Amino acid sequence: MTERPSALALDRRGFIRLAGTTAAGWIALGATSDRMRVVASLTALPLDDELTRRSMIDGPSSRLGGLIVGLRQRGWVEGVNFRFELRSTFGGADKLATAVRELMELKPDVIVTGSTIDTAAVLAATKTIPIVFATANDPVGNGFVESLAHPGGNVTGFTNSTAEMGGKWLQLIREAVPDLARVGVLFNPATTPRGGRFFLESIEQEAATAGVSVVPAPVNAPTEIDETIGRFSEPPKAAMVALVDSFLVVNRKAVVTAAASHRVPTIYPFHYFMDVGGLMSYGPTLEVRSADYVDLILRGTKAGDLPVQSPRKYDLLINRTVARALDLTIPFTLLARADEIRE
Amino acid sequence: MNETVDQEHLPTPPGRLFRKYLYSIVALAFAALAISTGFDVWFSYREQKQLLAATQREQAASAAIQIGQFIGQIENQIKWLSRLPPELSSNEDERLNAIRLLRLSPAIAEIAELDSQGREQVRVSRRVADRVGGKADLSATPAFRGANESRTYYGPVYFFSDTEPFMTIAARGVGRDPSVIVAEVNLRFIWDLVAGIRVGNTGKAYVVDRMGVLIAHPDLWPALRRSDLSGHADVRAALDGVGPPSNGLVKEDLSGQRVLSTYATVPSLGWLVFVELPLTEAYAPIYASIGRSTFLLVVLLAIAVLVSLWLSRRMTVPIQILTQGARRIGSGDLGLRLAIKTGDELEALGDQFNRMAAHLRESYATLERKVIERTSELEKTRDQALAEHDAAERARSAAVAANETKSRFLAVVSHELRTPLNGVMGVLQLLDDGGLGDAQRRHLATAAASGETLIALVDAILEYARLEASVEALETRDFRLDQLIETAADLMRPQAFGKGLTFDLSCDTTVNTSVHGDPVRLNRILLNLIGNAIKFTPRGGVGLNAAAGRHDDQILLRITVRDTGIGIAPDMHERIFEDFVQADDSIARRFGGTGLGLAIARRLTRLMRGELTVESTPGAGSAFTFEVPLGHAASGTAQGAPSPPSRQCRVLLVDDDPVNCEVGEAILNRLGHRCAIATNGAAAVALAGDQTFDVILMDLHMPDMDGVEAAARIRHLPLQPMPRIIVVTADVSRGTRERLAGAGITKVVSKPILINALREAIEDEPEHAATDAPLATGALIDQHFLDDQKELLGASQIAKLHDLLDQTGEKLIADITAAAASGDHKQLARLAHQLGSAASALGLVRLFERCRDIELAAPLMSPPECQSAARELAALRRASMNSLNDLLHGTEQRSFS
Repeated sequence: MTERPSALALDRRGFIRLAGTTAAGWIALGATSDRMRVVASLTALPLDDELTRRSMIDGPSSRLGGLIVGLRQRGWVEGVNFRFELRSTFGGADKLATAVRELMELKPDVIVTGSTIDTAAVLAATKTIPIVFATANDPVGNGFVESLAHPGGNVTGFTNSTAEMGGKWLQLIREAVPDLARVGVLFNPATTPRGGRFFLESIEQEAATAGVSVVPAPVNAPTEIDETIGRFSEPPKAAMVALVDSFLVVNRKAVVTAAASHRVPTIYPFHYFMDVGGLMSYGPTLEVRSADYVDLILRGTKAGDLPVQSPRKYDLLINRTVARALDLTIPFTLLARADEIRE
Repeated sequence: MNETVDQEHLPTPPGRLFRKYLYSIVALAFAALAISTGFDVWFSYREQKQLLAATQREQAASAAIQIGQFIGQIENQIKWLSRLPPELSSNEDERLNAIRLLRLSPAIAEIAELDSQGREQVRVSRRVADRVGGKADLSATPAFRGANESRTYYGPVYFFSDTEPFMTIAARGVGRDPSVIVAEVNLRFIWDLVAGIRVGNTGKAYVVDRMGVLIAHPDLWPALRRSDLSGHADVRAALDGVGPPSNGLVKEDLSGQRVLSTYATVPSLGWLVFVELPLTEAYAPIYASIGRSTFLLVVLLAIAVLVSLWLSRRMTVPIQILTQGARRIGSGDLGLRLAIKTGDELEALGDQFNRMAAHLRESYATLERKVIERTSELEKTRDQALAEHDAAERARSAAVAANETKSRFLAVVSHELRTPLNGVMGVLQLLDDGGLGDAQRRHLATAAASGETLIALVDAILEYARLEASVEALETRDFRLDQLIETAADLMRPQAFGKGLTFDLSCDTTVNTSVHGDPVRLNRILLNLIGNAIKFTPRGGVGLNAAAGRHDDQILLRITVRDTGIGIAPDMHERIFEDFVQADDSIARRFGGTGLGLAIARRLTRLMRGELTVESTPGAGSAFTFEVPLGHAASGTAQGAPSPPSRQCRVLLVDDDPVNCEVGEAILNRLGHRCAIATNGAAAVALAGDQTFDVILMDLHMPDMDGVEAAARIRHLPLQPMPRIIVVTADVSRGTRERLAGAGITKVVSKPILINALREAIEDEPEHAATDAPLATGALIDQHFLDDQKELLGASQIAKLHDLLDQTGEKLIADITAAAASGDHKQLARLAHQLGSAASALGLVRLFERCRDIELAAPLMSPPECQSAARELAALRRASMNSLNDLLHGTEQRSFS
């Protein structure tokens, strides 16, 4: 009576498996709503930029590709149960309004924004459509959310580098360029948080400790990039810190090319710059979680209930070829810290 | 199995016994199975629940160990760093070691090395710029104070930047001035661990710290919200140190789903790892097991029902067979053999049944044999009786046939005798040519008298034969009773006087009335009695008394004829009424006669429902009295004045004899009916088909077709209305009657046709009262009158009258012609009167009427009129005489044809 034959036990395991499969089926069924959902995205990047590609092969390397792949893993297949709409501001304020209007007309179920500027523009346009910002440096300071743990309203998202990171960047570039006398801080005041002040404070604090002068190098147009970087090629020995700035990301090729041509060692906040030949970058590891939040929002969770996530890992990338070209010797402390060393 | 040889003839209705067995066995099986399955399911359920809880506890413990190991690993690394000898490294090297450690442990966000006094030596961070030799005094921090040699310091969980769960871990090195390593650990890296713990398919594990705040959750974001779960009862209980229930706890999780929950404590940290499995998944195998058991129960029940059916059948079928066998034996079917092969007491019972049936069968066989024997004996006796009865019937038929033969013989003989006798009589009349001597004339008179007697004798025999054959029917009509009696008396008085006897007639006044009856038969009886009285009275006289008394609605006529004759001995009083008996043989010799007179008289009397008796003393005379009941006349109608028929009928007369045809036509015309004639059967059938007839008078004997056959053919014609068929025949034999009755013909009129009989036959319909027909205007002769005359006077007398009329008529016509030619009106009137009188005597009514007319009109007639009247009378006389000839001779011929 109390002993069950092993055949039945096997059967029971089979049944658990069956029940599990059935539960998974129900979840999949829940994801595939009869209505075609619309996921819209606003980006400053041009649509032919590598970072806006979203094919399977290079998907994970780009933020957008990661979103698409992540959604598919959660049962959302583009063209089957959701539609993906991408609009670009092309980095210009004039095109931003048009793009935002177009997005509103799509009546999307959720909008994924790329930068603080875009987020602010979309947030100004709607208080109801859920917004997930992919990067924001200071959502509380910008007034996007009430608090990180409990954002409230219709917006949530992911933070990027914190303000103290400015000092970290200066420390790292100084280790690579020991005879550093001055540091240029490259940014576009229109597209960087608080017009550059967000990071400048920690940079200036660290510079004071290290005895390095800080020279802000604001650029307002791509044509100004080369000339602005060129100003740091002459002595005293200078290096540059590129801030978190969508303008710089859009024009990263021009920035890196100018830095190389003027032999100005520069540290960047994203690894994107390394892909086009940057010297070194230090920034949060790309752990794309936007798919998680988009999925939850599509299933009915309020965006304001989801906490804003901060990065937990930071990667240091160093290109030794570029370093050699600049006659720089990378010290052990940097090499020990580097997560990836490119040759 | 138990099968009967004739199972298909024995329907086995589901009896009460069968149902009882079936229900009992099914109930037993159901109870056993249900209890067994119930216990099985219950224990299995409990066991599996415990098993499930145990598994879950193990999972929780395993998760707790993993988390402990994760923290323990970091702790070991920190300890390793703290225990590096101080001589081994400068500050820069320490920084490098710290950088290496960061590289090793991603969870460590920041490492600080403090000297034994709590001053910061090196701080390496992932977010901020590294600091070397900062010398900040951190001796008051809990981390520094908490770290000691033996134990690693675990700080409380705090949230960095509002969302990130962090924890401080600190460890002190060894030696004289041990440094303290303080590490800030990002607990989000536990997420990778927690997300990797598989709890079933949909279950999850999560971690709360000592305060009940959620640290790690597979969904990550609940942890980032700094969810405080200490308000949850189970978390609270766990924090208070209450162990998890052995069977697990059923509760609702964060998303409201019902889950089976248990937890384990992470050693050294005091964190709680909760493992939750949704009930739908957790209990799925239990439900599946219950479902399986239920299915098994149903299947076993079905099998149990089938087995019960089989068992119940096995038990009840032999009993049913026994019951039905007993019923069939009870209903008399002893040939049945029960075939029960169960090999137990039931089979023995079946055998006993079979033996009982066999005994009964033998007993019945014996009984039946006896019954058959008795029956055959009875049948023999019955056959014998039937044979005897048949013989008697045959004898009776033979006797009847013989009697009939006798009657026919008498009729034929008398008829055959009459013809030669008529010849003899005629020759005897011719012999007296005036040249005979007295002796010869006397002889001739004697011969004539003998002839007359012989003819009377033959007539009597003929009448007797008709009475004997019971074909004599009364022909009743209205007549004057006094006239009848007086006429008879007048007729017989000369004979009495001729014999020198007195003849007294005393009629009571009551006879002066009209009555309804058969005057001809009555007259016959009367003449017979008077004739006998005169015959047997040598001297003295004869007296006749007549009286009519009213009796109910009838008139009872009583006539007594007395004589003073020889008388009759008392012993002869009855015998004299028998056939061919006279009082004495000598009497026959003395008085002659057939001896049939009184027999005929009595038979006629009885035919009229009357009685004829005699009182007599030998030598003193006799008194014959007869009493007959008569009906009242319809009115005071005189004889021979027939009333018109109730309705005129279309009659088809069928006869191959032209004379008969004429007579029949005459009679029918006189009765006021319209008549058509067919001279044979075929013509009759054809005419009946063409025209509509009410009545068909059918002669029975015709050359081409028998009357019965013709009647049958007419019956088969589609006629509407179907004429009534009346057969006319002289054949009065029983055979003929039966044949007619067989053909459905009940109406028969005997030949010669009597007008009254025919009238009644034709008008014999219930709705039509039969009354006399008026004399048809065209009829030459009143046949009825003639018949009456013939009956009254006898045929010979009529023949004489006929001859006389023939002669005188011829002479008178000649005289009339002469008188008409001479224009002697008086003479014409007188001669016409004479002719009319003569014609009326034989019923030549047309001639009589015409004569009377001419007699009355004669004085006024012109000579041509007189001559034409004379011619007319001559023609009428000729026609009437011819008609009379036909009638008389026809009647003579047809009477016995």
